[in-house]
Amino acid sequence: MKKIIAIVCLMITTQSLLSQININLTLSGRPPANLTEWANRKDVLTFIMGSSTAIRFDVKIKTELKTLDGTVIGSTNLNTAKVYTPLPGASTILNALDVLPLENMIFTGKYLNALQKTGKLPADNYMLCVQLVRMPDYAPASTVVCKTFYLTAYQLPVLMLPANEQELNRTIAQSTITFRWTPVVPAFTTPVTYRLLMFEILENQKDMQALRSNQPLLDKKITGTTQFIWQPQLSMIPYSSGADSLNTVQPKGKKFIWTIQALDNSGQPLNQTEGNGESISEPKVFYVIDKNTTSNKKD
Amino acid sequence: MNKTIIALFFLCCSAAGMAQVTKVSVSGTMGISYEGYGLDRNPAGWTGYTPRRPWNQVRFNFMPNFQFGKNFSLPFNINLAALPTNFAGPYSGFIPGGPKQNFKQWMANPVNNIAVNPKYKWAELQLGTQYLRYSELSTGDIGVFGAGFDLKPGLYRIKFFTGTSQSGINYFAGPPAITGAFKRSNWMFQIGKEKENKYEVAFNFAKGKDVINSSAPPPLTIKPQEGFVISMLSNVHFNKGWYVKLEGAQSVFTKDLNTASTLLIQSFEPFIKAHTTTTRDYAATGSLGKKGQHFDIGISTKYFGAGFQTVGYPYLQPDRLDYTINTKINTWKNKMNIVASLGQRVNNISNTTLKANQFIGNLNWFTQFNDKWSLNLNYNNFGFQTASGLNPYGIKNVSNDLGISPTYTWSNSKMMNILSLSYNYSKYDERDILSGLTTSNNTHTALLTYVPSFFTKDITPDFSVMYFYNDVPMAKTTLATISSGLSVPVAKKKVQLRGQLQYNLTKLNSFKGDNNLIASCSVDWKITKQFSWNTYLSTNYFKYGNSIIPNGANYLESICRTGFQYKFDTKKNK
Repeated sequence: MKKIIAIVCLMITTQSLLSQININLTLSGRPPANLTEWANRKDVLTFIMGSSTAIRFDVKIKTELKTLDGTVIGSTNLNTAKVYTPLPGASTILNALDVLPLENMIFTGKYLNALQKTGKLPADNYMLCVQLVRMPDYAPASTVVCKTFYLTAYQLPVLMLPANEQELNRTIAQSTITFRWTPVVPAFTTPVTYRLLMFEILENQKDMQALRSNQPLLDKKITGTTQFIWQPQLSMIPYSSGADSLNTVQPKGKKFIWTIQALDNSGQPLNQTEGNGESISEPKVFYVIDKNTTSNKKD
Repeated sequence: MNKTIIALFFLCCSAAGMAQVTKVSVSGTMGISYEGYGLDRNPAGWTGYTPRRPWNQVRFNFMPNFQFGKNFSLPFNINLAALPTNFAGPYSGFIPGGPKQNFKQWMANPVNNIAVNPKYKWAELQLGTQYLRYSELSTGDIGVFGAGFDLKPGLYRIKFFTGTSQSGINYFAGPPAITGAFKRSNWMFQIGKEKENKYEVAFNFAKGKDVINSSAPPPLTIKPQEGFVISMLSNVHFNKGWYVKLEGAQSVFTKDLNTASTLLIQSFEPFIKAHTTTTRDYAATGSLGKKGQHFDIGISTKYFGAGFQTVGYPYLQPDRLDYTINTKINTWKNKMNIVASLGQRVNNISNTTLKANQFIGNLNWFTQFNDKWSLNLNYNNFGFQTASGLNPYGIKNVSNDLGISPTYTWSNSKMMNILSLSYNYSKYDERDILSGLTTSNNTHTALLTYVPSFFTKDITPDFSVMYFYNDVPMAKTTLATISSGLSVPVAKKKVQLRGQLQYNLTKLNSFKGDNNLIASCSVDWKITKQFSWNTYLSTNYFKYGNSIIPNGANYLESICRTGFQYKFDTKKNK
């Protein structure tokens, strides 16, 4: 009798082991800080599940997001999680939308607060652990697979020189104009290309209108540094002399708007889901004025 | 909606047409201008220099203001360009030779501006494209084509506007590539109370929502978004020039409307419903100070939470805290003027381990010692520093700029002379995050300017010489410039001529120098008191030495701009 029980137990255990589904998780070491962006990029997360034998139960994906000390900061709400039916002898390939469904994730404490405010978690090292559980008792249907990753948000450059509303001397500005900006923070994994764009703001145009509608006078890609000395080769004298112009409001001088677009190594905007989606920094305007004439008039 | 706006617009035009039968006055300007651009590059096939203006462009402007009696005015603002020239932003790709835009896209394209703002006493109707600024945190940077009003009954302020800030634009692989865009519908509302130069209190509401099916194929990289912001602002001006300005705002922004809706993030219904990509954050600005005839001082601070985003300022950079102190002093019988500011900006404040500190300091000190001597000093500094994160070293960039500009003025019975020298030293240090080595970028700029002014002649020449030297590891650049300008009225002062000639010699390391000659002139002919013809011509010839391949490559760039401008005022004509 004892032998029969032992054989039955062995058979059940064997059957249980055979019922385990193989899973494989691939996760980028530095995925986008914005968790919602993971689903938009195929290269961030891939999850494969499959079994060589016939599986007679449905499963759910149990995901846990942990800090490196093992503290769980977010986990799947299994009650509302999506149900999957493993296909016998075939693999199912899933992505972040299925593995990390934000609408079904429950976050805790400061992480929940950060996520609701910013869509991001604080910069740190994290661990993503995934396991399949069977329906309806949520018993393990696969081993737990964990991957660590580093999460950080990138801040676009801030334009420094010429400063906003700065007045440049026409004689110098005709020969050189120095542009300076802050780098992308933190340092990106690959060299960042800064696309420097400068537009002239014409009469009757608003600043932002010029940026969105004019051809840039300067369109230069700079890699590895945050300064560019431009030789404009432009005559900065006004299009019409102030004295005889019929315009009631005389222009202060020539006015320009400039900005930086941060591009990754494939030439794409660095951060496509942040702000304007174009990775364009907050633009600034500057004037080129004839300081000699201005001082003359003052005298 | 668009049809209604167009109908209202034509109704206003009809009202303007009544100007011929009713006693009204009309004033304003109208004009047409042509811009031509030419670029000739040698040797043939060399593309090392790209065109930077449209080859041809014609612009129209028509800005009449019909005044019906004392209380009713009908100002039009029409600025049109014959060819679209969109290179950045959602409209990029609408350029000559590219795909054509439809009528709606043409109307909403920022290159064109068609607006009319009929005004009766304190009530203003706003039609067409309007760039409205309600406040610093709600809306102000976008042009919206639509309709609305601005009412100012007594001390109350009620504003509303609704329309489209962006047409739906289909993605096009190119060339030229069109990024594409979703149609964005906006509305904004303000209610408040204001007494000019005394106080202002207002609540602002602004919303923008993309229409998901408005472009086919949709943009590849841009997601349909929705944003709502509510803000409260209060400005108070006290006696003796003291003032306080405050604004607080909350934004709810969905980065991708295609994502699932969720109850885990709090919605702001009925204005906006939360999706999994929705963020909800705060921003605040405040300033306090005193303005006087001889002395100004003020402190200001700005905070933008990492999730703060508004459709009214699409390029706003969140996740930062700024604080600045500004001062302006006029002393020594107004002969000494000092303007200074000192501030710090902390970026990435939500990521505590990787926040970036930025220090900014500016000083401009002008002194008029006597009738002959004056001196201007300026100093600018900014430093930018972050923690190292995963790298061995953190980012550390420091910029220092010092400028000294003495000016000497002397005169006799016939003329006055101004001789000005300007010297600027600029040092920019950048630290390599892997090696820790700091690269110094040093620049010296010296400019000498002489401007004689004749008391008995109308001729105004100016002469200047500039020397520029920039030194970075592996590259030393020297630039010398000689420039001269001349302004003179002719034909009984009906024609104003202005010309300028500039020669630049640039030398990089030991390469042969690059030569550059720029000549430009403007001719402004005031044909009548109301009618003028303005022409501007400029040419730029640049010849490389042997710093690039092919050696001796050169280009000739020319710009021609000519236009007629008519200024009218029936009151003055009578």
